[in-house]
Amino acid sequence: MQQQPQPQQPAPAKKKRKIRVPKVVNGVETMVEIEVDDEGGPQWGANDKHTLLNHRLTRVDGPLKVSGAAAYTYDRRVQGMLHGRVLRSPHAHARVLRIDASAARAIPGVKAIVGATNEDVVEGSNRAADEAEKRDRVEMGDAQTPKKKEREVRFAGEPIAAVAATTPEIAEDAIRAIKVTYERLPHVVRAEDAVKEGAPLVYPEGNLEEKEKRGDAQKVLAALEKSDIVLEAEYRTPILHHSCLETHGHVVDYRGTEATVYASTQGTFTIPGDAAKELGLKESAVTAIVEHMGGGFGSKFGIGIEGMMACQLAKQAGAPVKLMLTRRDEFALAGNRSGSWQKLKAGVGRDGRVLALYATQYQLGGLGDGSQAGQPYIYSVEQVYRERISIHTHEDSSRAMRAPGHPQAGFAMDSLMDELAYKMGIDPVEFRKKNLKDTVYHRQLDRGAREIGWERRNKTPGAGGLGPLRRGMGCAIGTWGGGGGPQCQVDVTVARDGTVVVAVGTQDLGTGTRTYTRAIVAEELGLQINQVTERIGSSKLGAANSSGGSTTSASLAPAVKDAAVNARLSMAGKLSGLLGGAKPEEIRFAQGRVLGGGKSLAWKQACASLPSAGITAHGEWKASLAGRGVHGVCFAEVEVDTETGHVRPIKMVHVQDIGLPLNRTGVESQINGGMIQSLGMALWEGRVMDARLGLQLNPGFGDYKLPGSLEMPELVPIIDDEDKREAVIGVGEPAIIPAVGALVNAIFNACGVRVRELPATPDKILMGLLKERRTV
Amino acid sequence: MADEHEKDAERRDGGGHNPSRRRFLKGVGVAGAGAALADHLLLKPETKAAQKEQGGRALSGTVNIALNVNGQKRNATVEPRTTLLNALRDHLEPAVTGPKLVCDAGTCGACTVLMEGKAVYSCLVLAVDAVGKHVTTVEGLGSPQDLSAVQAAFVEHDALMCGFCTPGFVTTISAYLKKNPNPTLEEVREACKGNFCRCGTYPRVFEAALAAARKGGSKA
Repeated sequence: MQQQPQPQQPAPAKKKRKIRVPKVVNGVETMVEIEVDDEGGPQWGANDKHTLLNHRLTRVDGPLKVSGAAAYTYDRRVQGMLHGRVLRSPHAHARVLRIDASAARAIPGVKAIVGATNEDVVEGSNRAADEAEKRDRVEMGDAQTPKKKEREVRFAGEPIAAVAATTPEIAEDAIRAIKVTYERLPHVVRAEDAVKEGAPLVYPEGNLEEKEKRGDAQKVLAALEKSDIVLEAEYRTPILHHSCLETHGHVVDYRGTEATVYASTQGTFTIPGDAAKELGLKESAVTAIVEHMGGGFGSKFGIGIEGMMACQLAKQAGAPVKLMLTRRDEFALAGNRSGSWQKLKAGVGRDGRVLALYATQYQLGGLGDGSQAGQPYIYSVEQVYRERISIHTHEDSSRAMRAPGHPQAGFAMDSLMDELAYKMGIDPVEFRKKNLKDTVYHRQLDRGAREIGWERRNKTPGAGGLGPLRRGMGCAIGTWGGGGGPQCQVDVTVARDGTVVVAVGTQDLGTGTRTYTRAIVAEELGLQINQVTERIGSSKLGAANSSGGSTTSASLAPAVKDAAVNARLSMAGKLSGLLGGAKPEEIRFAQGRVLGGGKSLAWKQACASLPSAGITAHGEWKASLAGRGVHGVCFAEVEVDTETGHVRPIKMVHVQDIGLPLNRTGVESQINGGMIQSLGMALWEGRVMDARLGLQLNPGFGDYKLPGSLEMPELVPIIDDEDKREAVIGVGEPAIIPAVGALVNAIFNACGVRVRELPATPDKILMGLLKERRTV
Repeated sequence: MADEHEKDAERRDGGGHNPSRRRFLKGVGVAGAGAALADHLLLKPETKAAQKEQGGRALSGTVNIALNVNGQKRNATVEPRTTLLNALRDHLEPAVTGPKLVCDAGTCGACTVLMEGKAVYSCLVLAVDAVGKHVTTVEGLGSPQDLSAVQAAFVEHDALMCGFCTPGFVTTISAYLKKNPNPTLEEVREACKGNFCRCGTYPRVFEAALAAARKGGSKA
């Protein structure tokens, strides 16, 4: 019979569905709608049926990090490398009239000097537009004054210029030798000053910028009229610093036609494009390397001004340049968590339901917008009116910081709820439940209350204990979206010698990315975790998303799983003949063996039967493997010394749902970390500005108080296993949200002082106690 | 210029009230300190001449020193103001980068090394003052293939996240366990009060220290 050519069948149209996924740009999350396949796809299986995932895994990069062998960006040194340093403005607001770097250039060992912007004209340097003019000035040192272009600095610490020299010491000298002439302009660095009539303007349009208006103000006012109890309060949180221990910075290994940029970044793939632009190279000629990195917390996306200057220095010197910010630089110009000033007015009915909320939310992000979750945050309130407004000041722009806007909003709302509960005479836990529709919170509040021993709390604030030491308890709640999206491209290769490598360009911020990436592949192939190696942290590997908004694991883990499943099926296909012709999907991989058709092969034996190149399988994100939306509650117990105002945290319990925990140990560590950073926000941390000078008064760890070992309470991180979602969700941000409110509420319960302005330092406690005594 | 606040403070206080020698050297009068020290450190005459010739101010000179790092003699050319930390990280070839530069001001502990067995902030020690002393960095305590008891306990108890503070904690605790092989939790907290961690690993650092002590970590 004659063969008829087969008509080309169009592939059956795949069922599609639309979903919303987070997209993170510079750490700021927006939701976008995408279309995904809606038919099956790989599944994780029940959360309690895993052999490696949802178990306690040992961090795979641990041995390198505890022995000093892990190579961070700061540790990189390449042949002929120069050291960069940044010159910062000492004024909050000024016109830059003249930058004279001729003395700096004359210092032996100084190899390059650049201005901070393309427009800057740095005498004795050469980053003006015209190449010939540049050359002239390099040769002539302090040449005739070139044409001036006016530049304003708008915060103390704004970069003016940067130098590269053969040693860090010489670079430091060179910075000191640059003479800058400023014309000082009026500045404003406090929100309460910025809203005053006639305040110096940060932007020509004014210092206030409306961000959101929502709800019917009239209806809210009417509902407040009808409420049985009305409470009005103002809450404030200061600007905070990320305080990444590894400062921002890069090693730019510029080789004329190509470059390798070692970066301390949360986004490996945010580097090459930025660097290429500065270096005048094609993006493909730049490789970004992020082997290990020392903390980001939302502040490290893109190369930033320090990276731009490092590239310019490298290009000018024709040599590799390392430019890591100093700690002082880091405080001055590497971003911050925006402060907040929230005016809330709420009304409650006799039944304990919150009927109305009128919220004016100012976000204090300096030159930036800042961020704040809209009130009433998570609670259900019948009538809500809110307006969110940015107040600009002459301070560096805020950046995303671990759960941007949430701890600020959560602290205010959970303080308000607490105040209302006490006013109503209702147990604060019960009062919250009355105003929370989502019953997951009810379950978590009960769990947290049990763990901390809520029944032991003071029924009357301040009544706990005799003498000056008073203990108390408080609680608060948090939420985060997170979720994943289709950005990661993962490859798994199995070699004939049994080696398994999983490769993707993602970065590990210390969150455990390396560990779970290995574990997912190992579990799928029935191996031990140390039988798999991960290759990450390079822009030459498969694409990956930036680590912002707790989207890394929910974006990456599904793609790793998909690649691992494909690797298993590909291997099974090749081994079918050896396993009695068993169908690939029926061949099992378990305990280091491959089983099928009544036969069993040891892993090495199985791999030896693969083609000479081994197998390579590719994986992409699958919506079926990722989830989003989490709940968390925190309970805190503190002890207040009513004579000194000192607060000692005693115990903190955090209950968190996150779907499938990839590594229980890692998740707990992150929850601990969240609680500890909250502790800092609640009790100690805050930027202090000198209004007159426009300078920060505490730009270092000596004065900006981070949580330390002596203050550590007992920490109890609890993974909420009642959450049965078989989906991966990130935990980085959720962990930091509720503890702030819980701690402040515990202080009230302990001593009767309501701290509405963070941090809750002894002066505020003592003033509060004094006021109470006067009132009594 | 880099330290405008300090300069303000100096002006207010009449300057030089700060007793820290290194701050004096680094911040107040680099030229003066360099010149003062240069006499006994034998500033190379050619450097002086070169600086004069090129019209730059003679801010500093260099000196050749030999350090004893992790049992090895290591040569370096440093300036009088160069800290031990900078010498290790930037002036040795190959570099010793286990100790981290985080605050450069003696506040965070990430640069902790052992000098004659005692934990010190290497950012507060001048390289020239470390000459003739035994310096042990985290690399000298154990390698990834052969971890010390303290290092192994850190891994086992997940006492690290980003890991940038970890070398400092490991070094501090290793030194402390030699002094006090069976510490209480309170004593461990006290021992590492000079080390900061931003990721929030403290509880597990304490666990690791106590576990290492149980396993005889002081011998590491």
